[in-house]
Amino acid sequence: MSSFIARLQSGRGYLLSAIIVAGLQTLILGTIIQSRASILSNGAEVLLKTAPVDPRDFLRGDYVVLNYDISSVPVQTVSGGIPAEPGERVLWVRLKKQADGFWTVIESSFHQLSPQPETVILRSRPFYSGGLAAGDSIRVEYGIERYYVPEGEGKPIEEARNDGNVAISVRVSPDGSPQIRSLLVDGKPVYDEPLY
Amino acid sequence: MYRGRLERDLSLWVGKGLLGQEAASALLAEYDSRPASFSLGRVLMALAAVLLAAAILLVVASNWEAIPRLVRVGGILALIWVVHIAAARMLARGSTAAAGGLLVIGAMSFGGAISLVGQMYHLSGDEQTVMYLWFAIATVSAILFRSGAVTIVAGFLSWASFAVYLQNNDTHWIGFDPWMAPMMAAITIALVRYTGAERARHLAYLLLIGWLAWLYTLYEEIAVALAFAIGGMAAFVLTALPLPRIASLVRSAGAAPAFYSFLVAAIGFLLLHIEIEDGWRLVVLGVATLAASVLAIALHGRDNGAVRYLAYTTFATEMLYLASVTVGSILGTSSLFLFSGLVVALVAWIVIRLERRFSANAQSANGQGERA
Repeated sequence: MSSFIARLQSGRGYLLSAIIVAGLQTLILGTIIQSRASILSNGAEVLLKTAPVDPRDFLRGDYVVLNYDISSVPVQTVSGGIPAEPGERVLWVRLKKQADGFWTVIESSFHQLSPQPETVILRSRPFYSGGLAAGDSIRVEYGIERYYVPEGEGKPIEEARNDGNVAISVRVSPDGSPQIRSLLVDGKPVYDEPLY
Repeated sequence: MYRGRLERDLSLWVGKGLLGQEAASALLAEYDSRPASFSLGRVLMALAAVLLAAAILLVVASNWEAIPRLVRVGGILALIWVVHIAAARMLARGSTAAAGGLLVIGAMSFGGAISLVGQMYHLSGDEQTVMYLWFAIATVSAILFRSGAVTIVAGFLSWASFAVYLQNNDTHWIGFDPWMAPMMAAITIALVRYTGAERARHLAYLLLIGWLAWLYTLYEEIAVALAFAIGGMAAFVLTALPLPRIASLVRSAGAAPAFYSFLVAAIGFLLLHIEIEDGWRLVVLGVATLAASVLAIALHGRDNGAVRYLAYTTFATEMLYLASVTVGSILGTSSLFLFSGLVVALVAWIVIRLERRFSANAQSANGQGERA
């Protein structure tokens, strides 16, 4: 190993080092882009209603903060109990399509949920759970809380969001990771996300 | 800088006839020829690299909506490849300074690239994983190119990673992630040893101390403060033990291990003083603090200026504090100042005695060396 590294630090070896380092970076970036693209092309489609955002979080640079109805999960939907110990938890959420076309939480669990027909399972990002004293609902994030927009275009979307007119169409992978597919205002797509 | 001091001392010794002019010039020339020595060109090169890297990050941070996404991704990937291959060429040609600058740009633009991709594809969350990946890439680059400049970048990234953790988790202790800060500090120290980027060592030690301070905010208990004081002193004594393995490790690390372990102990003593305000426990604590600073001076005082001054400060502060809580309640304010003056004078006397002893020891050690 050490002789290998010693050989890297001379003449042609540096070139190999450069290829390894740049290649690793390319691989990581490529994996990020490709995993999103594969969720967008193969995932299950879900339409989510956005909710107004706490005014403190309004303008965050060049992205719109998105908050969903499903971001606060009612405690009565939790099956399998809430862990009593405080700590880092992941919540699995089962979504079902409602009459108005939006999807809503019908079941949630701190353990992995098994797939059922006509439902989609979403996995939250890890969050700190204070244990049993959780209150009426559990606040979670899914990794789809930011929508980057061209400079100056954020304001109208934020206003529409606070009037309750913004919906997000999302595709979800079998393991529960979502990706944003398009942003709709009053039911019409404003931004459609290309695969790449 | 050290070079200026060296030059002054050399000319002084030449003037006193201790050293020939030729030998002095040769010594200075030897110092200048060391690869890590200060050179304006090197520093400017590093500054230029940081500025360029910042420019790249800023360009990325503002949206370039006009350019199609894949072109943007291609552009940043091309930048990463060009920078690294150019750095390899520079290293092969022997211009390490330019190569170091290019590698810094390469390591920084990876963060820019990830944030660009995150923006384009509306990815949110998981900043912590991004920081781990970024630190890992910088580590790999520092190892493969044996680059001190990238080691410094890795040191700063370890801070950034800890900052991201604190920000995302409301300063709770969650899961395995809090252990990453000391692990990154250990990796940084290993990189420092491997690449010879001595200054970056402080980044690792300061991260560890920040991490320990954070631990105390989580568990504000006497036991934690006591652990700092005892653990710090134990590590400090360990750096002075004449065990051959430890001694060689410590000697190659310079003044830092002894200083920082004593600093942790001093912080522990300070926290204990906040917890313990009176009674026999304060007496024990006061005596322990004074004994610890005397021990520090005895073990490392002669060779380690940083430890010596920290120990003097601890000793003097402790004396003043003890004087103010014990005698202060009996004496009036004006006599308190008188008493403080006497205490400081006493400390000064002890310090002067110690300094004299150190120089006497040094002389007798030299004398023995000459006789032998």
